[in-house]
This record gives sequence, structure tokens and C-alpha cells, in this order.
Amino acid sequence: MNKTFPPPGYISTESLVTGIEVYKPAPVKIEDERETVEFKCPQCGATTAYSVVDGGLTCTHCGYYDAPQKPVVGKQAGEMEFTPQALAQASLGWGEERKELECQSCGARTLVPSESLAHTCVFCGSNKVIQRMASQDNLRPRFLIPFKVAMEKCQGITRQWLGSSWMTPASLKQVAGLNAFAAVYLPFWTFDSTTDANWRAEVGHQETESYYDAGDKEWKTRTVTVWRWESGKVQLKIDDLLVGGTAKLSTILLDKIKSFNLNELVDYDPKYLAGFHARAYDLPLEKAWEIARQQMREATRNACREQASTSQIRSFSMNLDFSDETWRYVLLPTYVAAYRYEEKIFQVIINGQTGEITGQRPVDWAKVWLAIAALLAPGLLLGLIGLVTLPLGGLGVIIGGIGFVLLVAGIVIAIIIGVQANRMGEA
Amino acid sequence: MMMADGGNTSSTVNELSNLWGETVDLMVCESCDWRYVLPQGVLPQRCPNCFNGDLKLLTPGPEIQTVCSRPPESYLPFSVSMERVLQNIQEFASGPWFAPADLNPATLRQRLKRVYWPMWLVDCNVRAAWEAEAGYDYEVVSHQDRYSDSQAGWTSQEIKETRVRWEPRAGRLERSYTNIPAPALEGHRQLVNRVRRFQLEQAQPYSQDALRQAFVRVPDRSVEDAWPDAAPAVQDAAADECRKAANAEHIRQFQWTPDYQNLNWTLLLLPVFTTYYLDDDQKPQQILIHGQNGYLSGVKRASMKRAQKTALYIAIAAMVVFVLSLLVSGIGLVIPPLLAVGGIGIVAAVLLGAGAIMPLAIAWQVNRSAKD
Repeated sequence: MNKTFPPPGYISTESLVTGIEVYKPAPVKIEDERETVEFKCPQCGATTAYSVVDGGLTCTHCGYYDAPQKPVVGKQAGEMEFTPQALAQASLGWGEERKELECQSCGARTLVPSESLAHTCVFCGSNKVIQRMASQDNLRPRFLIPFKVAMEKCQGITRQWLGSSWMTPASLKQVAGLNAFAAVYLPFWTFDSTTDANWRAEVGHQETESYYDAGDKEWKTRTVTVWRWESGKVQLKIDDLLVGGTAKLSTILLDKIKSFNLNELVDYDPKYLAGFHARAYDLPLEKAWEIARQQMREATRNACREQASTSQIRSFSMNLDFSDETWRYVLLPTYVAAYRYEEKIFQVIINGQTGEITGQRPVDWAKVWLAIAALLAPGLLLGLIGLVTLPLGGLGVIIGGIGFVLLVAGIVIAIIIGVQANRMGEA
Repeated sequence: MMMADGGNTSSTVNELSNLWGETVDLMVCESCDWRYVLPQGVLPQRCPNCFNGDLKLLTPGPEIQTVCSRPPESYLPFSVSMERVLQNIQEFASGPWFAPADLNPATLRQRLKRVYWPMWLVDCNVRAAWEAEAGYDYEVVSHQDRYSDSQAGWTSQEIKETRVRWEPRAGRLERSYTNIPAPALEGHRQLVNRVRRFQLEQAQPYSQDALRQAFVRVPDRSVEDAWPDAAPAVQDAAADECRKAANAEHIRQFQWTPDYQNLNWTLLLLPVFTTYYLDDDQKPQQILIHGQNGYLSGVKRASMKRAQKTALYIAIAAMVVFVLSLLVSGIGLVIPPLLAVGGIGIVAAVLLGAGAIMPLAIAWQVNRSAKD
């Protein structure tokens, strides 16, 4: 027991029994409760912004540097549970409301979207971070991963990526407009859960059996499928499943750059957001959890099916229990850009931590069809030659057979190329 | 050192009589050393605990003075009806197989005695600083899903689960706790385990009538010895009050630094019926009956002598059948149909002879189970 009374950091609280005093730990004060934080250099008054290179708040005029004091918490970052109160609060939509901000530097009034967490004044360039929105205290982002990839590298990464596929037009590397990257902290939800499943199914086993063919008057063998009931249990622990918190960007593209290393999560500090765009979530927690649950149950279902002794399964059923469900609301760094090619707009997103890039690219369908034709041609040709030389006996059969195999292989590869080409333009 | 004595006229006994509101004698059983307070002049009786020895007058020494100087403040009356007690005795005496002759309802009823077991109750004031973790229930939303190929996909059910959130709390208390129980007998726990819990909330103020109706067992633990049993109960009561004060549903890891004041010890009397039956060795087998709810606790023993007698009768019967069957078989040599009858008779005799072991086996098994 503590020798001092009350213990340090404790405050008095209501007691429901006469003669008994009760003390509890004082609530942790949120260090900076200002609704909006503005970033001005204390030395020269110029606007400061977070520098990816220096890893802190810098002033480009006088060189002032201020490192964020927040520790790396990584995957130990605190998680929240799905209480009815949290779900109700998280379902309060952002709607289409816009928030009016008065710039403390120049007095200009600007309307910003309600889901914007950071804003740069278009008149004087001062950077602001919006920390609080009405009653959303429980749903302020508490953790983020700072930018690790500098903006200057984005153009190089993108040009390399644009030229990395033979299916893209040759002139794509020289396309203009690739220097207009926006550094954006995007909202993400992370989910943890344990799934416990009991499954049952009929599993088919191939067995050889003998039977008497009355017609041929002899014993023969044949392969039959014997169906047997099997059951099992599976438990999966799913850790930090990421679901994008915004519906304003393509989920297909967001899924492709989700390989963030959450071990680098840090406690939220407005200094990290200075000079960047940042968006609050517009996909509510409940909907995001539904998406995550869908992924978790499919993963569990696949694990159950893998437990079966063969892959021939029918009448499959399973009961699945979720437990220890927790969530986090985090901000993750991305660079977003759009470029124009032949009157069409294409999106590019770069993971601001790892530099991983994804996006839409135009497809040179002429090249693709040529390639497909080149793949199918040998098979078709040999097949035709085989048909023609069939009267010559074995040689025709061999040539025709080789042609058939090449044709089938060519069709398979052509389908793969076609699917890949289609996906390149998806968003 | 306590000694059974022919005389008991010390002034100390008079003091005790005044405290107990009745002229009393202190009696001791020379066999099991159980000590009782009885109204003066009660004829020498058999000990209602072991039923082996007679009660003799006891000269009270300093130890007994200490415990007897706290007369009972309250007692639990014998609230179970006699019908219920007799019914339970009837049920008990209706088995086992080969019960001793002495194990019968009439004998058990006749030997029924009322005894009061003592229990200490302590009141105290406590001042303490305390620390604990208070648990608050909260709900979370979870899901149970079901998938079936035949029902084309997933169905989901939302459920609510209750979890506990633990938070540290500390404080001070200044409270009074009353009637905290502590054993006044060395073997209290074993005795209560046999007859089960008493409803202490049914306690009534002590009256001399209780003394007149029953043997009152004298405590053999001083209050100093009993305090280590009472202190945890006081702590539990304090922990529960601190939980309520913190408006929590649970509490754990309760620690405190208590300062006890104004300890006041009193005695509570717990009602028990005792009776007994004699086994084959003429050894009394004690039976206890809870004085509030009639719960009966006793060991049923079988009589090996009765079992042996029964086995002998069966064996004799088997011999007779065997001899007769032999005769019939002999006649059957002349009249063939009788041969079959004789054969059947011989088989029956053998089976009957084997069955003679059964009474012995049953009695042995009953007594073995009673030991376990």
C-alpha cells in the first residue's frame, strides 16, 4: 500500500456510504485542448510545417526546429472496445457540413469540409490543425504514423512505376502533372478479434471400387466419390486488420497500399499534421466493422475448409463466435495525385511510410491484343498444320497435339493478361 | 488444568451463575472432554457428544473462567418441527441392509438430546486507509454468425456481453461492524461441515429458557484465539462496504491498514440435536440433526453379525435343497423323469449356496463406504 494518503495523482470522488472516503486517479489531461492549433515560428513568426526529412516542425526562414515529443507506441497503441456508446457516437455522420475557420494570422474566413483535420490558409499560408469537433472527443484520432517518404521522391517513384509495365503506352513516362502530389493523412480503422468456429461438412474421398461389367463379362475398377461427414474447430486471432475510413477514395486502390508497418504508430501530436492535409473518417465505425467482419469470417471459413481432409466439400455449415473485439482510429500517411492522359483522369496513391505505389494506368490495348495474338498464333498454326498432315499418320497427330497444348497454354496466358490489363485501369 | 471434581461450590461458580442468569453447574465428559453448562441440580447424564462417558462436575480454573465470563447474548432457537426431525430419523433408520438392531427409529427418538454449540460474535470499530481495484460492469456489442451452404450464405446475430472494467480506488473509512462470527470450538468447522450452515439472522436475545432446554457447550477457544478467524471476516465486510461506496459491482485486491477499537465479544448459541445407535462393537455412532432445518448427518453402518446369520440361514437352506435333490436324483435312476428334477435342484442348491456370500459382501461394502 502507498505510504502517503491520498496516493499521488488521486482526487476525491463521491462516496455512497457514510464514513468511507473514496479517491480515484485524476483524469489524464489532454495536453492541448485548443480547438484549433496554429503553427507559427516563435523566432521569426513565419509559418512552420512538419518536415519529413528532419522529422519535426521546422521553419524554412530561420531554421527553427521543434521535434514532436511523442513516443513510438507501435502495436501497443491503446484499443477501444465496441461499447454501445462508442458505436452510437461513431455513427454520428459528418454529413456535408462545412466548418468555418477564422485564420488567426490574417483574419480570413474560410469554409473547410467538416472532415478536414488540417488546413492551410489560402491567403497567408499559415498551417492549422483542427483538434476537436463538438462531442466527438472519443473519436479523435489518437495515433498516427508520421510521413517517412519525402514529397520530392514521389515524382521519381511514379515515373518508374508508370514505365514498369509493357502494357502501358510508351509516352506515359513523359506525362505532365505528376508533381502535384498532395500529402494527406487518411483515416483508417484497425480491428482486432478472435474468431472461434465449429464447422461441419460432407467431404468427398476418391475411392477405387471393383464392379462386374455384365456386358463385357469381366471385373473392372472405377473411381467413385464417397461422402463422409467431418467436423472440426478453428480459432483465429486477427490482429490489426486495416479498413479505410473514407469512402471518398477508391477502396480498391486503398487496399493495395495497406501494407503500413503499425509498429511505427506514435501518439497523436498536432505537430505531425502541420502543413499536411488530413481527413477525419466519413465511413462510420459500424460500417467499417461490418467490412472487417466480412473479411474475418471469410478468412475463418477458408481456415475451416482447409481443415477438411480433402478439398471436395459440400453441405458446409459453420457457427462463428467473435470475441475480444477492439478497434482503433488512426491516421496514416499517403501521397495522392491525379494525372491526365488523353483526356482521362487517373489516380495515383503512394504509401507515405513505405513508398509503395498503386494507382490507375492507361492500357495500350493495341499492344495487348498483339501480345495475345502472338501467344495464340503458334498454337493455331501448329494445330492447322497437324490437321493438314493428319493423313500422313503419326506425324500429323504429334504436330496437332503440340499445337493443341500450345493453344491451351496461350489461351490461359491470354486470359491472365486480359484480366491484368483490365485491373490496371480499375479504381 | 481442568479436573473433574466431586464438589463445585466456589464463589467463581456463583459469579458465573449470576452472569448466565441461572444457577449453573459446569460439567465435563471424562471420555471426550467436552464441557457443558447445565442448570444446577440436573441429574448426571450421559455426554450428548460421545455418548460414552457420564458428565461430572468440573471445578472451573482460570481458562474456563475466561470463556464462561462471557455469557451468551443471543441464541438460535430450535425452529425445526419435531415432526420433521422424526421423519428424518425414520428415513435414516430405514436403511441400510443388515442394520444393527439398535438402529431403529424408536431408539433414536428416545435418545434425542438438545445441544447448543457456542460461537463467538465480535463488534468493533475500525479506522483504516484502504486501496483496492473496483470493477465496473459495462456492455460490449459482439456477434455470432452462422454460415450454411444450403441457406446460401451468412446470417449474423448481434449480442451484448457484459465485461468488467477495473479501476484503482483508495480511501479512508471509519465504520462499525457488528456480530462478526468466529469459531468458539476447536473443531467448529468440521462440526458445521457435517450439519451445514446456520441462519445467523434468526438469532434471538438469550433467555434462561434456552439453558433449561438443552446442554450448552462451553467454548474451548478464547477470544484471543478466535480473533484471527474474525479479522478476515471484518476485512471482507469492509471491502464490500468500500465497493458500495465506490458504486462498483466488484472489488478485488483489497488492502488496508486497520486500527481496531472497542472490541466487544459476545456468545451465540447454535442449536443441534444429537442421538446415537450402537454398532456391532457396542460403540455409539453419533447422529447430528440441524436445529433449524432438520438436516441429518450420520454414518449408517451394517451389522456384520446379522449378515453372518443371514448367510448361515441361506447356506443351510442350500444344503437342504442339495440333499433333497440328491435323493430325488437317486430315485430318478429308477424313474428317469425325476433325474431332471434332481439335476435342476442341484443347480439351484449350488446357486443358493453361492448367494450366501451376498449378505456378507453387502455388509462389508456398506461399512467400507461409511469409512470413506
